Amino acid sequence: MRFLPHTDTDRSAMLEKIGVSAMSDLFADIPAEFHLDEGSLNIADALSEAGIVRKFTRAAEKNRNATNTRYFLGGGTYNHFVPAVVDYIISRGEFLTAYTPYQPEISQGTLQALFEFQTMIARLTGMDVSNASMYEAATATAEAALMARRVTRKNRVVMAGSVNPRYRSVTANYLSRLDGEFVEVDMAGSGTTFGTDLDKLIAAIDEKTACVIVQYPDFYGSVYDLSPLRAACDAAKCLMVVAFSDVSAFALIESPGAMGADIAVGSGQPLGIPMGFGGPHLGLFTCKQKYLRQMPGRVCGLTSDADGKRGFVLTLSTREQHIRREKATSNICTNQGLMCTAAATYMTLMGDAGLATVARHSAAALQSLVSQLPDHVTAASGARFNETVLSFVDQEARDAFLAAAKAGDIFAGIPLEQIDSAAEPRHLLVATTEMVETDDINDYLAILEVTK
Amino acid sequence: MSCNDTTETTFKYSATVGIQHEEPLLFEHAHEAPESINLPGVNGDISAALSAFSRQQAANIPGLSEPETVRHFVRLSQWNHGIETGFYPLGSCTMKYNPRVNEQVVRLPGLAHIHPDQPQDTTQGVLELLYELQGWLGEISGLPHLTLQPAAGAHGELVGLMMIRAALDARGQQHRRKVLVPDSAHGTNPASAALCGMHTVELKSGADGRIDLDELKRHLDDETAALMMTNPNTAGAFESDVKEICQLVHDAGGFVYGDGANLNALVGVARPGDMGIDCLHINVHKTFSTPHGGGGPGAGPVAVNDMLAPYLPVPRIEKQGDTFALVANCETSIGPVLGTPGQIGVLLRAHAYISAFGRQHLHQIAGDAVLNANYILHRLKERYHVPFKGLCKHECLLTDEIQNKHGVKTLDIAKRLIDLGFHPMTVYFPLIVHGAMLIEPTETESRETLDAFCDAMLDIADACEAGDTEMLHEAPLKPFRRRLDETQAARNPVLVWQG
Ligand SMILES: Cc1ncc(COP(=O)(O)O)c(C=O)c1O
Repeated sequence: MRFLPHTDTDRSAMLEKIGVSAMSDLFADIPAEFHLDEGSLNIADALSEAGIVRKFTRAAEKNRNATNTRYFLGGGTYNHFVPAVVDYIISRGEFLTAYTPYQPEISQGTLQALFEFQTMIARLTGMDVSNASMYEAATATAEAALMARRVTRKNRVVMAGSVNPRYRSVTANYLSRLDGEFVEVDMAGSGTTFGTDLDKLIAAIDEKTACVIVQYPDFYGSVYDLSPLRAACDAAKCLMVVAFSDVSAFALIESPGAMGADIAVGSGQPLGIPMGFGGPHLGLFTCKQKYLRQMPGRVCGLTSDADGKRGFVLTLSTREQHIRREKATSNICTNQGLMCTAAATYMTLMGDAGLATVARHSAAALQSLVSQLPDHVTAASGARFNETVLSFVDQEARDAFLAAAKAGDIFAGIPLEQIDSAAEPRHLLVATTEMVETDDINDYLAILEVTK
Repeated sequence: MSCNDTTETTFKYSATVGIQHEEPLLFEHAHEAPESINLPGVNGDISAALSAFSRQQAANIPGLSEPETVRHFVRLSQWNHGIETGFYPLGSCTMKYNPRVNEQVVRLPGLAHIHPDQPQDTTQGVLELLYELQGWLGEISGLPHLTLQPAAGAHGELVGLMMIRAALDARGQQHRRKVLVPDSAHGTNPASAALCGMHTVELKSGADGRIDLDELKRHLDDETAALMMTNPNTAGAFESDVKEICQLVHDAGGFVYGDGANLNALVGVARPGDMGIDCLHINVHKTFSTPHGGGGPGAGPVAVNDMLAPYLPVPRIEKQGDTFALVANCETSIGPVLGTPGQIGVLLRAHAYISAFGRQHLHQIAGDAVLNANYILHRLKERYHVPFKGLCKHECLLTDEIQNKHGVKTLDIAKRLIDLGFHPMTVYFPLIVHGAMLIEPTETESRETLDAFCDAMLDIADACEAGDTEMLHEAPLKPFRRRLDETQAARNPVLVWQG
């Protein structure tokens, strides 16, 4: 077996040293009734390396992908450009095959990359501090709700119905086993506007409220002013939590920090991480400095070594499960470390200018599409970043268009009810990135025209 | 405090030892912001409505040219130790070789550049691989029903406990909220229980480091929801009473949750499900060799028996006739636990690892892992204190008791190993012994490497006895950074660069 260095001669010699006569003696402490016969499990026969490549290639060829299809899909996962350098850097064995940097003297590479990541994420989101990642956006949102409960010592969580339904349901699920109240404010009327009704949300806040969670841009792509909510949160002494699904937006529009967020969480997948059928992605978690000690997850901090040289360590570990056990701020241990290195590399390659271009092209593509729609489809109104909802007269019309687009190598959008089960089945959630070219939009419009 | 003035930050020449380089923070590279790299897409206008929200102040992400970016991160990478650079015997972490072919296949466009919400008839290939993996993990664990979705081991613990809680609730036993956790357990176990709205009671380990049956019996009652058990335990010992333990918990009306972090000792040799475990998470970034990436990503699939199967989270991967589907609706499910179908790229690497061994060789994973750990134990047991006697499984536990007499602690031993070219073992875990050193070699290390590591450990033991302890306290002297001041970092946290 090519991953195992020992020959049978090695094994015998080692067994002899240990003082046992057979491999099976090493398992004598496992009761005999539980011993399996070798080769008895129902698992495929061993494959050579060539066999693995062949098998995976065949499987991959059955999947339509972004190299042969134009993607207008979002809903939390976006087809942004991934520069070759990003994949090269995270393929380097020193980053790829290291464990969590528990021994900082020989992990300064990972640690400095994390420190740079935290700094750039804090700057992009306009927040004071960032941790070193959560799993993905939905669990990050749930963790934000939990953190707000700790900070405020209150346990009522209010969430806008215009937050991605997946973030909502995961948060609801996390909170459902704990004391306290979880209130989802239905964005009624959003059935037509597909946006966030702040008045309605603010009306749901009371003095028991620990936090209000909104998404910005919201699930439907709507961009709106959060200052009324900030004022309401101040009045009720609760935290304003802002979730987001495409952090690249903040190179173009005002950041959650500038909008007054106390905690901002969301997806960093757009920062150089492929869609990958949903993972591994990157959960971002940022907050104001004063709440730092209630933050979940690992953080990297600056310090110096015995010679006074600058260095980095994982810090504030007394918040974490290996020390605090059931009182920890979170149970998270393994996080998305390598994806932080990917995002740090991506942001370094891009800089302000590149990030702004990504965001502007993403938004411009949407604007181009929306401004040329034929009469039988309507787009949700108001400011949208790179995502919106298109409405058809009925499901039949929408599905006919989707099928024709698919035949024309376009994934034209996600049927809204696929994510938002409350939605009428005639809407389409449509997203654009810098990977959408003018020709793609023209093809999209042409298909819309012929499926009228 | 400004973080700029804590320490020396500028380097006239970058070379330190030979051509290992110092590298400033990217924020310290002084030059004008580069132009945007050439990006595709629509270079048109954004809507007027959106313009009203334009960001007023630039984020101040400096950006470097491509050659500078590559050099920056390559230099950083060179300050890291990884499994490809050398031995990494972190106990409980299972740092084994990560096959390169796995990296190659997950980058195929048909696996990397696909969206979880694209039509399912265009993702049959990936669903088929995942479905196959589900079946294999069911076989390996002896627990046939799977969710692949949990993002890591700790997430799997939470999901498993949610299922147990749902099963108890379905029996009308809302009062069962007590989770028994041995004092040797990983910290995620009690933290996950708390997140699931349960409270933990710690079980004191017996004199042999194993679960003490009397202690267990004392705490089992009609409020018990579950026992969380790690087998082999975190001292590297197999809980030989596992059958009786499970029986006791079941008789008391509770479930047995298996922490599968140590599954590497059992793969292909024995199955937790056969022993009475009801629910097990599998850290594929340990047992199935997916790279740890400097902290993640991992994946923590959970395998359960028939009793818990109705409660599996959604979406589930099912086979319906000849097609595969992500199925989201199920009445009894605990509901969604992640916003995406899971850590797919990680799971596909695990598939490739299992494929390489196949039915024929799978048991050799556990075989060589346990052989290697016992070999190390055998070579070191005369010179280091072994708290629990007997054969170990895939990892062996030592303490610093002998070296303490010379004023040397586990931390010193660990740091000295760095100077000798090895990543230290896991230190100060498990908590049930003083000065723990938990050594896990895995199956992918050669005898030559094991011997070199043991020689290093014996040299350290010699140095202690010879009173040559100064260098142990000072260690490490050779790497690019010496011991770092963790107190300073925590007291005055600087998490972002202010420069
Ligand atoms: C025994 C044990 N249990 C649970 C965990 C948690 O797993 P993860 O880090 O994948 O969340 C670990 C990993 O560090 C472990 O060693």
